[in-house]
This record gives sequence, structure tokens and C-alpha cells, in this order.
Amino acid sequence: MIAQQLLNGLFLGAVYALFAVGYTLVFGVLDILNLAHAAIFTAAAFAAFSLASMGVPIPLALLAAAVMAGIMGILLDRVAFAPLRARNAGTLVPLISSIGVAIVIGAVLRGIYGVDERHFAIGGAAAAPVIHLGTVRFTTVELLIFLSAIALMLVLGWILRATALGRSIRAVAEDRVAAALLGVDLERTIGATFFIASSLGGAAGVLTGLEYNSATIDMGGPIELKGLAVIILGGMGSVTGAVAGGFILGAVETLAIAFGLSAWRDAILFGVMFLLLVARPTGLFGKRTLRAA
Amino acid sequence: MRLKPFIYAVLLASFGASAAFGAGGPMAGKTVRVGVIADVTGGAGVYGTPQKNAYDLASDDIKAGKIDAGGATVVFDVQDAATDAAQAVNLMQKFTTDGQTALVLGPTLSGEAFKAFPIAKAANFPVMGTSTTAEGVTAIGPTVFRCALAESQVIPTTVKRTHGKWHYKTAAIIYGDDNAFTKTDGDIFARELKAAGVDVVDTETFHIKDTDFQPSLTRIESKHPDVIAIGALFPEATKIIEQAGKLGIKAHMMGGNGLNSPEMYSVAGSASHGTVVGAAWYSGAMYPSNVNFVKHYTAKYGKGPDQFAAQAYAAAQIVAYLVKNGATNKDGMLAGLKHVRVIQTVLGPIGFDANRDVKSSPVILSIVKNGFTTFH
Amino acid sequence: MNALVDFYAKHSRLVDQIGVNAIMALSLSVSLRAGQLALAQAAFMGIAAYLSAILSLNAHWPLLASIALAMLVSALVAALLAYPVRRLRGVFLAIATIGFGEIVRVFANNFSITGGAEGLSGIPNDATTPVIYVGLALVAVALFALSRTKFALAVSLVREDEHAARSVGVDVGAIRTLSLALGGAIAGLGGALYAHSNFFLTPADFGFGRMEQILVACVIGGVTNAAGAVLGAGLITLLPEITRAVQAATGANVDFFRELVTGVVLLGVILFAPAGISGLWRKRA
Repeated sequence: MIAQQLLNGLFLGAVYALFAVGYTLVFGVLDILNLAHAAIFTAAAFAAFSLASMGVPIPLALLAAAVMAGIMGILLDRVAFAPLRARNAGTLVPLISSIGVAIVIGAVLRGIYGVDERHFAIGGAAAAPVIHLGTVRFTTVELLIFLSAIALMLVLGWILRATALGRSIRAVAEDRVAAALLGVDLERTIGATFFIASSLGGAAGVLTGLEYNSATIDMGGPIELKGLAVIILGGMGSVTGAVAGGFILGAVETLAIAFGLSAWRDAILFGVMFLLLVARPTGLFGKRTLRAA
Repeated sequence: MRLKPFIYAVLLASFGASAAFGAGGPMAGKTVRVGVIADVTGGAGVYGTPQKNAYDLASDDIKAGKIDAGGATVVFDVQDAATDAAQAVNLMQKFTTDGQTALVLGPTLSGEAFKAFPIAKAANFPVMGTSTTAEGVTAIGPTVFRCALAESQVIPTTVKRTHGKWHYKTAAIIYGDDNAFTKTDGDIFARELKAAGVDVVDTETFHIKDTDFQPSLTRIESKHPDVIAIGALFPEATKIIEQAGKLGIKAHMMGGNGLNSPEMYSVAGSASHGTVVGAAWYSGAMYPSNVNFVKHYTAKYGKGPDQFAAQAYAAAQIVAYLVKNGATNKDGMLAGLKHVRVIQTVLGPIGFDANRDVKSSPVILSIVKNGFTTFH
Repeated sequence: MNALVDFYAKHSRLVDQIGVNAIMALSLSVSLRAGQLALAQAAFMGIAAYLSAILSLNAHWPLLASIALAMLVSALVAALLAYPVRRLRGVFLAIATIGFGEIVRVFANNFSITGGAEGLSGIPNDATTPVIYVGLALVAVALFALSRTKFALAVSLVREDEHAARSVGVDVGAIRTLSLALGGAIAGLGGALYAHSNFFLTPADFGFGRMEQILVACVIGGVTNAAGAVLGAGLITLLPEITRAVQAATGANVDFFRELVTGVVLLGVILFAPAGISGLWRKRA
């Protein structure tokens, strides 16, 4: 049973990691917690559902939905964050405006799709071929989702390390003023950051929708809170940390259930996060130094 | 088989009756306002929207004479509480003080009911829950009625009938621990299974909105129960069943009211075949008003009604019955409710017991490809 | 006069809700004014609500006594929480405190004394409107009185520049703990009053949704003064009913209308007045 549970944890962790990476990117670059990330996650899932039901093959739908999510991210920045940046409004106010945008996105989704849960045309995961590997079982769909998540995170890692854009992003994250002085185009870099972060969050949404064969208006709620725990576990602003944190969280949650503690699993999850924060405020991989509020 | 002639007779009688009361009737010219508090949007929107749909449909049916309200005009003022208990409370206060409303139906969730019904009690105002099946709801006050079968009225029958057929020795229970409805399911299943001499080998809990049940199901499977009891609402139930199939779990499955939706098979697939659902309503029941209800609801909204819609429609039928018998204001409604014997609804013939809970028989159903059959 | 009495008879619950939400917004503003984004108010509210409800139901304590003990316990919990998070700042603190809130909610869900998911019902409804608003007034007066003391000066300094504060001898840790405890006490009052004006409690009442509501109310109104918190709470509480009236008036029979308007209003206010509604007046003054 433990082998299956570890596999469950791995699959769960991959999606958590993908979602958290977007969170942590935005925080690393702008010091803000983007509470509209979960709404974009949800919007992408619905977009992919619409495309799939029109006959678009799933990989293409995933790509299109992720791109749409990226564009939504840029718009989000333009509407909710950029004006406040220009007025030096601090970190608390953008949090509130992100809540406002999240509500608007939720209302629009409800307007378009109604309250019903949507299911992907692939006929439920039960229809996918099951692979047996020793004592564990998983479907081809689950495996593809897992591999997609890993692939996306690797692409992100490459962008950050090996491209000029990546260098700009890291420079702005390190010190915004210095980066500007060195000639980095701030607004363009921030826009690109939002595009990348939101498209990854959107991809997480599509993959989650596929995994559980479900897109609902409130699918972002639970992952939004868990995403917070992930970025703390991994260390704010650290992409590697977010990935590691995602898998750790997936493992903690799955093992809590495996040991009969499912009623306490959220408390265990946040308890671990809390203890880590207290013991090591920068998180496991955190490179960012603490900043004053 | 013996039911057929009876059904034909009832059909004929109701046809005749509606023909007679189409354009006139003892209550012609009277308008009765019924307040409805439903979570059309918000987290419980999935349950409140079918309720609103049902009231809209009932409104049309009353106007067309398909439901007999004695010729009166019945207005269902459906207000959205957006799954916000504070809004449900404010709506209850509004309806009970506006001087025009005769009765309030809803709210959708038991938690909202516990906050809003005491206001009605203090105002000596009649209210009826159509989906608030937690324990203690009707005990709030002597003006609180309920036309929805409580879990405690359904699950004992579910366990008895399945145990009688399947003779299982071991069971596992999986239920939602942060929702009153699903938690009640879990508790009652535990109690009834134990009373039936079944060994509950594992109990797992989940939270509302959870989507991944594989860790819990893996753990359940490792204990090899003969049957799995599911205390969940529809979105979670479909995933539990689907993922159980994916993991290769072969145990029988049974659940409560939350599983009673015609979409079950199309969502959860073949894994749901044979799952037993103990419910308050059967979409295939041959009561004439039910056959019409299912047909017209499906035509109007593009999908079949679920139990939330059925219970709301039944409430509308109860209202029409009360109006036909002279109730036009809150005192009339209260008196009418107290004196109800039997009303024919889409849930079948129902009445109220001494605790103002609904008197009706649960139906034990089995999931099949196109919906449900009755469980034998 | 008659119109007012009539209005009250029809909307007393709404009036009570505004009062309680204002107290909660004030409790958060205390932490925010010390520069601490400590988002545990909903948890403190929940602890106090359950405690005062259980005392009334099981031990038949009179209202004021149960409120007093609830406030004390909330303040204590807040002070205790201040210790492990003493080195956290900004969003780190926010997330840690949100996590704490989730832990409290799980505990409330899993114990039978709180009624678990089925909740606690039958709570005596004795926190009437006068009681709530007297409580609000007392908190406002107390905060106003405090704002004239050296404590308030130290708090402002800690918010503006922690290092400078330290260098002039302010005990930053003590200030942070005290402000958290004060916020906790006020949240305790809010929670106890909430319990005694709602008949029924469930753990979901005090989750992240509640915290978001308090945060939005506080910031929309304007963090830096009591009037702002009250204004923001008023707006947030009234918004669903305002949008309901607007929807009825325009006949827009679309379900998502109210939610859309709420989001747009929120966004509009915060973009137009990042310092909150009360900040608008300040600017003109």
C-alpha cells in the first residue's frame, strides 16, 4: 500500500508544485501575494474544457488555455497592480485589488458556464488505460499529466537560467532599483513575469481538471491555501523551492491520510509549514533575505 | 403491475380537475407571495440553482393549471443568498417583516437554516426547509416544517436492504467531515452498520471540494472491506466512485441522498454501476406529477432534475395545496401546514409527522447506465 | 422617527452585522497600524465565539462574563502566537497567521465540544443591537485614547522604520506582541458578540473567507483610523444588499450580476483610493 501512496503523493505534488511556481515567481519579483492566481488557474481549466468539447485535441487545448492564462496575467498586472505600483502603494493594497480581480473572474466564469461542474470529453479517467507496475496502478492520463508538469517546470528553469529574459527577471527580483539602473526594462520584465507565472498556473488548472475530470468554479479554493504552504515550505522567491515544496506537501498530505489522520491533514500540513517558518523563515531553499514589512 | 389501473384513474382525475379549475376556482383573483431563500450562486450554487429552476417551473405549471392552486396566483420570490449565511439571515428577516409574504421556503443549507429559522420562530412565522436535512432543524421551533427526508430517516433502510441482499461482513466508511450533511451521513452509517453486526474496518474522512480521494481509497482497499459506504455530496461522490474504479476496487458501494443525481453514470462511468443510493426521490417514479415534472424540467433546462429540484417542486406543490384550501397569509399557512394529512407530490404521497418532519418513504435505488432502477 | 423604527424592525440583523464586522475590522487595524500583516483575526474571532457560546450553553454564564473571558483568552492566544512569529515580516507573517487560522479551524471541526461540522446551535441571542454598538463605541473610544499615548507613537515608529525604532530604544518585540494581543482582545469581543447574535456557529464561519472579508473591510475603509474600519465594514456588509436592490431595480435577471458588481466596486475603490475611503478625506484636509 505504501508504494501506491507514495505514487499518489508524487502525482499530487507535481500539480501543487506547478501551481506554486507561479505564486512564487510573482512574489519574488514584486513582493506581492497574487490572490487572483487561483482564479486564473480555474479560468484556464474551463477554457480547456470549452476547447476540448469543440473537438480540439487535449494537448493543443492545454497550450491554448495556458497562453490565454498568460495573457490574463498580463492584463491582471495592467489593471490591478501597475497603477498601484505607480503610486507606491505598498504590498497590502495590491493584495486587495487581486481579491477584487479574483471575484470579477469568478463572476464572469459563472456567467459563461453557470454553476455546473464540467467534465472533459475524454470520458473520465476510468476510460484511460491502466498501467500495473508491481503493486501500483496508475493510468496513462495520470502519467502524462505528471510528465507535463515536470516538463513545464524544466522549461521554466531553463528560461530563468539561460535566457536574457530570465536574467532580467532574476535581476528585478534581486533588486528592482539596481536592475532599472542597469538598463532593465522594468515594466516589460514584470509583464513577462506575469505571463509566465499565470500561464504555468493556468497549465496547472488544465492538468488538474484533466486529472480529476472536473472543472468547477471553486476548484481554486483549496489549492490557493495549499499553494501558500508550498511556497513557504520551499522558500519564497525560489522556484526550485516551490517545486520541492510541492512534492513535500503532496507527500505529507498523502502520508497523513495513509496513516489514518485524514481528518487532521490540513492541520498537519499547516503545522509543518508553521514550524518551518518559525525555525527557518527563509524556507528550505529560500534565498531571499527577510524584508521589513 | 396492480398499480397501473390506479395510476390511470389518478391521471384521469387530475386531468379532469385541472380542466375544471383552469380559469377559475375558489381562490381565483387572490395572490399569495412565497419567499424563497436559495443559494443560487456561491459554493452551494450547484444545489440552489436546481431549486430556483424548480420554482420557476412550478410557477409556470401553476399558471397553466397543471398544479392546482384553486385559481390563485402564487408568486415565488426567489432570492439568492449566495451561500452567505449573513445574507440568508437578512433575507429571512426581510420576508418575515414585509407584511406580504405568507411563507418562506429554504434556505438551501442546514447551517444557514440554523441561523435563519430562529428568526422565523420568534416572529411566529411558518418556514419550510426543502433540503436542510441535518438533525435538529425542525426542533428549532413550532413553525418550522421540512419536506425533505432526513438522513436519519433514509440510511437505516439503505443499510437494512443492502445487508439483506449482499450479506456483507465488513465495511468501510468514507465521509466529509466539514459539512453537516455529509458528517451526519458518516455518523449514521457507522451507527447502523454496527447495529447490523457489520465490522467497520476503516473510516476515512475528506473535506468538501476535495478532488483527490486516491490516498484514502488506497488505504480503504488495503483493509479489503466488502462494502464501502459513502457520505458525500454529488461532486465528491462522483470522484470517489470514479477513482475507486481506477484503483481496481471491487467492493459494493452505497451512499446517501447526495448521490441522487441522474448525471452519476455519465460522470463517474462504469465504476458507478450497481452503486446503491438511499434517497428521498426516484426520478423514475410513476406518480403522474413526477412523470410530467421530469419531462418538463428536462425539456426546459436541458438536463434532468436532481433531488434538490424535486424537493423544491414538491414544496411548491404543498404551497399550491395550502393555497387552494384557503391559506393566503402566514397564519393561514401555519394553520394549513398543521392540518395537512396527505398531499400528492413528485415525491409521492407525503404528510408531516408530530415533529413537523416529512412523512414519506425512502426509495432505495441502484445506479445503471441511464439513471437509476429500484434496488431489489 | 417612525421611519427609523420601521427600518430597524426590518433590518435589525443587518445593523447588528455591521456592528460586529466593524469591531473585527478595528481589531485588524490595530495589527496593521503596527505594520504587521497578521491575518489571524478570524481565528481569534472563532476561538472567542466558541468559548463564549460553550460557556453560555453548558455552564450558563451570563453574557458579559462570557464575553470578558472570551476576550481574555483571545488576547492570550494572540500574545502566545506573537512569540513564534516574532521574526517574520510582511507576507511571511501573513501566511504563517493564515496557516494558524486553518489549524484552529481543523481543531474546531474535529472536537465534539464545538459540535464539529454539525455546529453549535441554540446559542442565546442576547447580544442585542445596543450591546453590540456599546461594545463598538467602547473599542473606538479606547483606541482613540490609546492613540494619544506614547504607546501609539512607538507603534507608528515600528511601522515606519523598525530599525530606527530599535535604535531609539523602543522594544520592538514587546510592541509587536502588545499590538497583536490588543487586536486579539478586540477580535475576541467581536467573536463573542457574533456568537450571541447568530444562534449557531460552525467552523466554516471562521475560515479564510471570513479573514478575507475582514481584511477587505479594513483596507477599503482605510487602515490608519477607526472611522475607516467602521466605514469599510459598513460598505462590505451592505454591499450584498445594495447590489440586490440594484439588481431588482435594473431587472437584470442574471445570477452573477451581484458578484460581478461586488468585484468591480472593490477593484474600483481600491484603485481610486488606495489609502481607503477615509484616506480620501484625509487628502483633502
